Amino acid sequence: MPVVKFKPDRLLNALGVGSVEEAGEVLFRLKCEVEENPEGLVEVEVNPDRPDMYMLEGIARAARGILRLESGWEMPRVRDSGITLRVGEAPSRPYIAAAVVYNYRLDEDTLDELIQFQEKLHDTIGRRRRKVAIGIHDLAKLPSTEVEYKSQGLDTRMKPLGLDVDVEASWVLENTEQGVKYGGISLEEGRHPFLLAGGQVIAMPPVINSNITRLEPGTRDLFIDVTGTDARTVAKVLDVIVSTLSYRDGVEVGLVRLEGAPWKSTPLLSSVKYNLSPSEVNNVLGTSLTPEEVADHLSYMRHNARASGATVMVAVPPFRVDILRSVDLAEDVAISIGYEDLGPRLPHFTTRGSLLGETRLSRRLRELLVGLGFTEVLQLTLTSPKLASLAGGGVRVRNPVQEEYSVLRPSLLPGLIAVARANLHRDKPVKVFEIGLVARPSGGGIVDELMLGLMVMDYEASYEDIQAPLYSVLRLLGISFAVEPTEHGLLMPGRAARILAEGTVLGVLGEVRPEVLEEAGVDYPLVVAEVSVDKLARLAPG
Amino acid sequence: MAKTPVSWTEYKVLEAMAKAGVRGGPIGEVASRIGVPESTLHSVARLLEEKGLARVRVEEGERLELTERGQEALREGLPEEKLVKLLEEKGGEASIEEVRERLGREAGVAIGQARRQGLVQVEAGRVKLTGAKPGLRQALEAVAQGRAPGGALGELLSRGLARRVKIRREVLELAGDPSSLLDRVEVEASRLTHDMLASGEWRRYRFRPYNVGAEPPRVMPARIHFLTDFIEMLRDLMKEMGFTEARGPIVELELFNFDLLFQAQDHPAREIHDTLWVEAPPAGLEEYRELVERTRRTHEEGWGYRWSPEVAARLVLRSQTTSVSARLLASRPSPPIRFFTLGRVYRSDVVDATHLPEFHQLDGIEGYSGYTFRDLLGTLREIFERLGLQVKFKPAYFPFTEPSVEGYVRLPSGRWLELFGAGLFRPEVLYMAGVDYPVGAWGFGVERLAAAFYGISDIRLLYTRDTMYIRSFPVRVV
Repeated sequence: MPVVKFKPDRLLNALGVGSVEEAGEVLFRLKCEVEENPEGLVEVEVNPDRPDMYMLEGIARAARGILRLESGWEMPRVRDSGITLRVGEAPSRPYIAAAVVYNYRLDEDTLDELIQFQEKLHDTIGRRRRKVAIGIHDLAKLPSTEVEYKSQGLDTRMKPLGLDVDVEASWVLENTEQGVKYGGISLEEGRHPFLLAGGQVIAMPPVINSNITRLEPGTRDLFIDVTGTDARTVAKVLDVIVSTLSYRDGVEVGLVRLEGAPWKSTPLLSSVKYNLSPSEVNNVLGTSLTPEEVADHLSYMRHNARASGATVMVAVPPFRVDILRSVDLAEDVAISIGYEDLGPRLPHFTTRGSLLGETRLSRRLRELLVGLGFTEVLQLTLTSPKLASLAGGGVRVRNPVQEEYSVLRPSLLPGLIAVARANLHRDKPVKVFEIGLVARPSGGGIVDELMLGLMVMDYEASYEDIQAPLYSVLRLLGISFAVEPTEHGLLMPGRAARILAEGTVLGVLGEVRPEVLEEAGVDYPLVVAEVSVDKLARLAPG
Repeated sequence: MAKTPVSWTEYKVLEAMAKAGVRGGPIGEVASRIGVPESTLHSVARLLEEKGLARVRVEEGERLELTERGQEALREGLPEEKLVKLLEEKGGEASIEEVRERLGREAGVAIGQARRQGLVQVEAGRVKLTGAKPGLRQALEAVAQGRAPGGALGELLSRGLARRVKIRREVLELAGDPSSLLDRVEVEASRLTHDMLASGEWRRYRFRPYNVGAEPPRVMPARIHFLTDFIEMLRDLMKEMGFTEARGPIVELELFNFDLLFQAQDHPAREIHDTLWVEAPPAGLEEYRELVERTRRTHEEGWGYRWSPEVAARLVLRSQTTSVSARLLASRPSPPIRFFTLGRVYRSDVVDATHLPEFHQLDGIEGYSGYTFRDLLGTLREIFERLGLQVKFKPAYFPFTEPSVEGYVRLPSGRWLELFGAGLFRPEVLYMAGVDYPVGAWGFGVERLAAAFYGISDIRLLYTRDTMYIRSFPVRVV
């Protein structure tokens, strides 16, 4: 989950609380976890459904509602910026929206926070810049009020951020960190989207901004562009940024006129309206709130809400991306009340519980096997190709993290040989069993099956040492079975058998081949068995 | 009076002495009379003495033994015997020259001794046999066997065939009549045996007291794995609360692992570094046609992107057992419902003390037409209170639930452990599945809780291959 960092005094001042603990308690109720890091910064873990809270102003606004210091939201003061944005052909990244934020006045702290805001938006709602990317510019440095967005060839020249020389875009893609990381996202047939002002490149979305309009402490007004592949998200992200920055006193918003875009001007600062019946909240939460109470709680969650007769009129603020339907407002009410104060209660209907047949059978198997002196081991179903190959190989993971855990085991037996290897120095006999899943391709798909594996290691171990306990268990379960010789990659010829019941193969048993033992580094004889618990569960008389 | 404890061997010696009527004597003699090896009797005698049942005294004395010459004479005959034998061969007489030739250096002694004993006469250079057998052989044999040689003692000594040697010997004297001693002792045994019981002989035994506080050898039982114990406890708890157990595949369609849970196809959780795909051709979605159609519509309206059935058809190692809950919902069970599943889930994590690439998750769902968020919170609190854990709720975000909640439980150490995620399924999820009543859902990782429950700091120990670790794992009674 996204983690944003702030200087402690800035966070405490913004929230109006006296200590980091206090801030932590308030923000816990807003889905956040607060921690002080070794560098002396406060880290706030924010949930990705609240991108407005990646910014100090957004956190403060939400917290001051929970603290009952403020309520509702105000539409920012908006004026025409005089900037026109012409949207040309940019097929790989067709949408752009832009806005001006006046009087934001960057200092070193707010510059850091703003860049952090931008990065977290990129990583989450922006899907690492694929879906949405943001460029923030110093308005005063904008070469012209005539701005244009379009695709151009990679021979387009620009001054990439941090470099005060003109280079070709192709050079930027190959030689800057951002170029290498994000250069492929919107590159299509040798063309890439550019943002130009007065003919000069001010950004190459979603890769990098131009050095010309770079932000620095002292920057007063911001020109913000948002580009992306989904119009709704592009407009929404711009709304989140603008309506969060404008929470600060004295900040005003400038409209940018668009040509060739889905919108005539941005930001939209759109507010979704709900005519909410309190029952829509009460039915979800199990409460019996009046329209007034619902309105109060929603106001503290920074909606504009008022009771109107039996309903609540709600205007969702432009900085909220997570209100998709009334249930999302119900959650806001629950958060305002506090989950503990909501009054958890036990549901008043009764049902009869039950366990699966294989669960009940496994319990009986464990009792019997422990009685026969076998100890249970548990192993992962992910195993190494080497171990899986002992049983003919298994279903491979396409993108494993570690080779050691890259195959789903096709059988429990290789793992039991590995257990033997790990217990060579223990008193003999070593007797273990495992009940666990294996997976195999079947009928075009992959099926898993619950299996029982048995292993005995001793100075001398022969077929009977595994046959006797297995027969004992099967017969006590009332299974009628037959046994016939079989061939098996792990088992000695002439000392391997299949167990059959009602026309199906239940499993195998036998002595492990000496060459397998030698390869596995096991210098004691092993006898093993493996039977299907799923099949036993179907066969065992109830 | 307390009886004197004796060993089985000591008892047998006393018994044999009583039977033979022997009360004491030189140990060698006693040993041969009662048929016990002398070495055994030596040590038994000393043990009986320690227990005050006998006295062992050392006697100075002498005894005769054969010299080398005496031993040779016994073996090959006395010189006079050789002479008698020669004369018998020669028909009763032989010339002195013949005798000298045959007997060599011994010829003189032989003739002298034979004449003295009246066995031969020497006449005109010829030796004639006149008497009976020589008498000294019996004396030689007596000395060799440790008996007295009788009247021939002086001759044996003077001829250098025997000599006197000084000896020390141990003499055993019982403290009383052996039969009465038998009544004063009892046999000490360390173990009661089947033979003792079968023969009734156990009555004769005294069973030595043990140092009952001494450490025994370490033995460990065959065991059910302690993680299994914990998992089965959770299953019992869910059953107790009225939940029906369900199971779903570990290799799962993205449809059930993600799409049906309203997780957009470009959601970060579905990227390469968070999801494990298996090498298998995509599965067909034909059997889920209606479900797929509703899923497409819901995703495209809700998230604003073009939903791909190909993505939904890919096979992953399930990342959450909520996939089983999704399948349960899609089966549209009639309310009220309570289901749970407990099984393995898979993550793109590097193995370390707190991460495994797979672990168990417990997922539960509960619902009926009037089910609310308060009911969900109440059920969650009840589950963890039954486990003895205090719960703290925190508002949270999951794509498939609203309202959503994260739960913390307080460990015995006082630390709050972030444990579960829960919430009411979003209307979008219920719509896709085709369910028309509210359903609450939750899930949590079993291993983290088990590790905290057992006080294990390295989660890898839950999957150890060391059987002794499992067999010697401390028991928690719950």
